[in-house]
Parts: sequence; structure tokens; C-alpha cells
Amino acid sequence: MHPNVSQGCQGGCATCSDYNGCLSCKPRLFFVLERIGMKQIGVCLSSCPSGYYGTRYPDINKCTKCKADCETCFTRNFCTKCKSGFYLYSGKCLENCPEGLETNNHTMECTSIVH
Amino acid sequence: MLSVDCSELGLSEVPANLSPLTAYLDLSMNNISELQPNTFHHMRFLGELRLSGNQLFRIPGEAFSGLYSLKILMLQNNQLRRIPAEALRDLPNLQSLRLDANLISLVPEKSFEGLPSLRHLWLDDNALTEIPVQALNNLPALQAMTLALNQIGHIPDYAFQNLSSLVVLHLHNNRIQSLGTNGFEGLHSLETLDLNYNELLEFPVAIRTLGRLQELGFHNNNIKAIPEKAFVGNPLLQTIHFYGNPIQFVGQSTFQFLPKLHTLSLNGATDIREFPDLKGTTSLEILTLTRAGIHLLPRAMCQQLPSLRVLELSHNQIEELPSFHRCQRLEEIGLQHNRVREIRADTFGQLMALRSIDLSWNCIHFIHPEAFVTLHSLTKLDLTDNQLVTLPLDGLGGLTHLKLQGNPALSEPFTKESFPKMRVLEVPYAYQCCAYGACSNFFKLSSQWEAEDMNPEDEDLHKRTVGFFPGHADNHYDLDIDDFQLELEESKLHPTIQCTPSPGPFKPCDHLFESW
Repeated sequence: MHPNVSQGCQGGCATCSDYNGCLSCKPRLFFVLERIGMKQIGVCLSSCPSGYYGTRYPDINKCTKCKADCETCFTRNFCTKCKSGFYLYSGKCLENCPEGLETNNHTMECTSIVH
Repeated sequence: MLSVDCSELGLSEVPANLSPLTAYLDLSMNNISELQPNTFHHMRFLGELRLSGNQLFRIPGEAFSGLYSLKILMLQNNQLRRIPAEALRDLPNLQSLRLDANLISLVPEKSFEGLPSLRHLWLDDNALTEIPVQALNNLPALQAMTLALNQIGHIPDYAFQNLSSLVVLHLHNNRIQSLGTNGFEGLHSLETLDLNYNELLEFPVAIRTLGRLQELGFHNNNIKAIPEKAFVGNPLLQTIHFYGNPIQFVGQSTFQFLPKLHTLSLNGATDIREFPDLKGTTSLEILTLTRAGIHLLPRAMCQQLPSLRVLELSHNQIEELPSFHRCQRLEEIGLQHNRVREIRADTFGQLMALRSIDLSWNCIHFIHPEAFVTLHSLTKLDLTDNQLVTLPLDGLGGLTHLKLQGNPALSEPFTKESFPKMRVLEVPYAYQCCAYGACSNFFKLSSQWEAEDMNPEDEDLHKRTVGFFPGHADNHYDLDIDDFQLELEESKLHPTIQCTPSPGPFKPCDHLFESW
């Protein structure tokens, strides 16, 4: 085992080092590099940080960035919550709602027009 | 409202004194193995509850009672073996439910009946062996679902018939071998379907009912043929990924009338004898059709493909080239390992954006003097292993990379003025490198080009082509950055021109006619 790799790791880490945090995760967790000042620390999470979505594969669980206008997403092309200034409609972030729908400024979504 | 983060505190149970004004509660990554009934009953404003990364193996029926405002419930990374149907019975505003990375093999019929607002469901990385058809019948608002990383072997007819709002469906990394011809009936809103990494033997004809489909993936399956009219029901398709299949046959008009399709990659379909008819597929930007049996390119090819930027046709049997002049946006042509004999004046005429031509390993014996005259953006030309006697220099002033090895009859010396921007030059004979200054101290033994430009033989052409353009949906690096780094390395480490073969004691610089 590498001299700088310690065994007594926090949370979901399988291996870690004092300087870099988690080097690998326990199964089924997402490995994420968090920036703290100039340093990058490895952390193991059960869900990706806000602004990222997780994809599970047999050998790795990856966090990937959502689109720029999206705060949380299911996949890159399907947003679940838009950033401010955008309205959510069927997984997309729109500045204006499509015809036949109206903006709901409470939920920040496009909703059917109630007559 | 309060946001409470109790994650990673080593808790073995839910803290008792949580405020009724809590809107966000994170209990993830603890050691909670049990929930008591009515634990959260007083938390009427709780909108998001995170219980992921604990040891929950069952959840009692009343555990979540009273959570009328709950929108997001995270139960992933626990030990659940079945869907806690009773606990989910009365969550009228729940929109996102995460049950991924558990051990779920049982999905009771009424599992989701109490979730009229559910939009996003994660059931990936569990132990499902079949599609939970009955349970999925009660989710009118569902928009995105993943059943990836399970052991599902078959998709029956009408499996998703009530999911009319579903936009995204992920089924990758299962064992799906067969699919009912009406398997996707009812998915009127579906835009993304991921069937990658399964065991499909036949092309999934069931997709014909998916009129709004934009992204389709079935790469890494066992499909041998893509039939005619395969995508006749999917006019909005933008991307189709099907590499990693033993595809031998593709219908001549299979990829017609797909006006939004921008990438088409086919490698090793040896039964393809003719160039596909791409009528109506006018947005195609990247066409890769390698290792097939194509011997003729249609004259009107570029009229069907006005947006083409990358044409990769290596390892075919093409003898004669049409004029590509109507492919006005063409940036890269790969024709290596074909049987091309000559390059005419109009072959590459007017292609102002063309940066790279690879014609290596052909039988080219003649290049018209005006063949390259209009190619103002050309920087890379590979003519390795042909039958050239002479090389017309008009239009090649902008070259930075030129490969000519393997043309034994090409013995003319070059002058430095012919290629003012040259950086990497491969020529048939060492003496042809002497034009670039004193022989000994200028040249470096380098296989720079080999290390820098991967040889198409060894690497996966699909990755190189698909990953070649930043705009492409699933590309993991940016070409401009790659080029920039190349420039940086070139300018720092190799201020000089790398010319090979490098002259040396046994290959002196004195110009000797004929070969040695």
C-alpha cells in the first residue's frame, strides 16, 4: 500500500490520504473532487453535488455537469430545476414559455393556462 | 424555513428534536437502519428528505406520513429488497424519488399509486429481472426514469403504455435480448432512449412508435443488421449511437429523411457495398463509414450532404473520387486505405474550410497541378504509400504537416520556400530533408507525428471521430484545447522543423540522383 495512503478513512472512502482526502470510494458511491482554495479533495457521495448529475456504470459512478441554465438535472439534456430567470418545461429551461402555457413565478415552471 | 444538515455524523437513528419548520433535512451517509412510524409527522413543510447512504433494509408504512409538502425523497444506497409501497402511499407532491443502488428485486403493483405528481424515478443499480409493468401503470406525470444496471432480459409489449409524459428512459447495462414489437407503445413524449450495453440480437423495431425521439443509443449489443425503414418513425432523431455491434448489413435507404441527424458512424459493416442514400438527411456533419466494401461514391453525394464537416471513409475499395466541391463546409477527409488512382483538378475544388486530407495507402500516381490551388485552409496532407512521381506544390504553402514516405519514385528535392509553415515533414529520402538547413544539428530523430497523431489502424476510429468536435453531445475533450496544447508543445520543444528520415553518416546530404 502506498506510504501516504491511510486506512482509517471517513464516510464512503475506500482509500484516502491525509493530503488528498478520498482516493477511491466504497462500491456504488460517486467520487467527486471538491476544490478547497488551491487544493482538490476527493470525497465519496451517495448523490452528486448540485449542478451535477450521476450516471452509474458497472465499473464506475460518474458525476457530470448539468447544462449552464440548469441547477439540478436527471441527465445533461433533462433538467429538473432551472437556474433563476428560466422556466422549467418538460426537462428544458426556457426564458419564455411556449404558446398555450403560462409562467408560474412561484414554481418557476411553465403551466397550463387555467381558464 | 430551516435547512438541517445531519449528514455523516455516525447517527444510528433520526434525531428526535427536529424543528417543524424544517424544509430541508439531510440524514445521508449515517448508520440509520430503522425508521419509526410517524418520525416526520410534524414536519409539514419538509420539501426535501435525504436518507441516502444508510442501512435501511425496510421502511414501515407510516414512516413518511404527514409529509404533504415533500417533493424530493432520497433513499439510494441503502439495503432495500423491495419497494416500500406502504410508506409511499400518501405523498401527493412528491416529484423525485431515488431508489437507486439498493437490492430491489420486487416492485409491488401498487408501489407508486400514492404518487400522482412523481416526475423523476431512479431504480438503477438494483436486482430487477423484469420491467415492473403493473407498477408503472399509475404514473401519469412521470417524465424521466432509469432502470439501468439491473438484470432485465426482455421488454414485453405495452411495457410502458401509460407513461405518456415520459421524456427520458434509460435501460443501459441490462441483459435485454428481446423486445416486443409494441414494447414502446404509449411513449408519445419520449426523446431519449438508452439501450446501450445490452444483448439485443435484432434491431429494436419497436422504436417506430417513438415519433419524438431525438437521442437513441444501442451501442454494444449483438445486432447484425439495421433494416430498411428502421428509423421511418423517428424523423426528429439527432444522434444514433450503435458502435460496438457486429453490424454487417445496413439498408441502402435506412438513414434517409433524418433532417436533424448530425452524426452517423458505421465501422466494419462489411456487407455494405454501396454508399448509403442519404436523401433528406441534410444536417449531417460527421459521416464515418469505414471498413466496409464501398467502391463508388455517388456524384451527387455532396448535394445530399451540404453540412458535412468530417468525411471518414478509410478502409474501403474506392477507386475514383467525385468532385467534393459542393461539400462547402468540409474540414477533414479520411480516405486512407482505399484504391484511389488520381486526384483531378476539381476533386477538392473550392473547399475553403478543408484542413486535413488523408490519402495514405492508395494507388495515386497522378495529382493534377491545380488539385490543391483553392485549399487555403489546408494544413495537413498525408500521401504516404502511393505511387507519386511528382507533387504539385501550388496551394500547399500553408501546410504544417506533410507525409510522403512510401513513394519511391518521388525523388525531387524540395526547397524551404515551398513550405514556409512546415513543422513536421516525412519524405521518401533523407537528402530531401537537407533543404531545411545544415543536416546535423537541426534535425531530431522523432516519431513526433506518430506520438502526436494516433495511427488509425490501432485506435477506435469512432472515438477519434466522435470526440473530434467540441459541439458533439457526448464528447469528453475539446479539440481546440488539444490543438492549442499541440501548438504549445511544438513551439516550446521543437522550434525547428522535424524532417524524417533524418540524414546521417550513411545518408549524406549530397544530392544523389535516383535512390540509395
